Amino acid sequence: MNKELEHRFVEQLQQHQNIIHKVCRLYTNNADAHNDLFQEITIQLWRAFPKFRGDSKFSTWMYRVGLNTAITLYRKSKRRINTQEFDSVQFKIKAEEYDDTEEEQLKLLYNAIHQLNDIEKALVFLYLEDKDYREISETLGITEVNARVKMNRVKKKLRTILNP
Amino acid sequence: MDELELLKKDWKKAETGYKNLTDLEIYPMLHKKSSSIIKTLFYISIAEFVFWILVNTLPYFLSDSYREKLDASYENPLFVGLSLLSFGVIILFIYLLYNSYKSISITDNAKRLMESILRTRKVIKYYVIFNLVMIFISIPLSLYFEFNQNPEFHDQVASMNSTQMLVLYAITIVMTGVIILIFWLFYRLIYGILLRRLNRNYVELKKLEV
Repeated sequence: MNKELEHRFVEQLQQHQNIIHKVCRLYTNNADAHNDLFQEITIQLWRAFPKFRGDSKFSTWMYRVGLNTAITLYRKSKRRINTQEFDSVQFKIKAEEYDDTEEEQLKLLYNAIHQLNDIEKALVFLYLEDKDYREISETLGITEVNARVKMNRVKKKLRTILNP
Repeated sequence: MDELELLKKDWKKAETGYKNLTDLEIYPMLHKKSSSIIKTLFYISIAEFVFWILVNTLPYFLSDSYREKLDASYENPLFVGLSLLSFGVIILFIYLLYNSYKSISITDNAKRLMESILRTRKVIKYYVIFNLVMIFISIPLSLYFEFNQNPEFHDQVASMNSTQMLVLYAITIVMTGVIILIFWLFYRLIYGILLRRLNRNYVELKKLEV
């Protein structure tokens, strides 16, 4: 019984694992931390799985648990190396050598996202995943109007970081 | 093209580039230890209960003279009342804590999840405050009993002049205050570190409502 549950879970997780990878991509900035958060989200998903009734899609459920883990439950493990300094140095160099190529612009964008706070990252993530405001508001526990307002502010903030 | 549209395009393009873990890699992950704050919070609360129960009972078992004194003091209804109260409070807190842990659900929305964790922390906080208040009450109380039951101490105090009495009061109050302050700072530190990020994110979400 348990084995069967495990099997069903792993099968679905494997299929939708990109969702977790994408959460990790926004909330961590090195491979170790990425794997660490991936691991923690997987544990939380597995623990919550017996209560997953299938009234929402598995992927929708994964978004919620994944973001909740990243925003609320996750404690950086000791293994994690702090690359904050490295990142900001990198950012400065890039800002100075600002180049209009797409590649360069994208690097700047991702750097800018890493400077946002956890909630703002969640909004950017849900925006990039094409979630509508109803789902965003339900995931974060805020009203749709506030989700909209906050999203606009985050977009503005990103643009300001990019074009100071 | 707008920067954010560019980002979205790239985000979609990256979809195929992520590491694809096999089921053989995923299976062992299910049985690894979690490092979530709920688990840490849970351990801290257990440690909290054990610590305060030990503080309250250990001297009884370790010191004969203390046991005798305590046994004698049980003839006093005030002491019996206080002991029963602490016992009841411990049971009440275990019940409350159990309930609030049960209400934490990772599948709630982010705000509600944060609220239930903060509520759990509050239960522990009240338990700590209760114990600190008990210390605050029991230090003067035990001095009072010492005064009544220990003739030597009684004589010493009785022969004091008013300045010495004042000093005695002052020392008692300051000592009690210092003990409580140390405990309080200690808790602030533990929970402060543990829940700093959660608090920050909760404030951020709450800010949206105003």
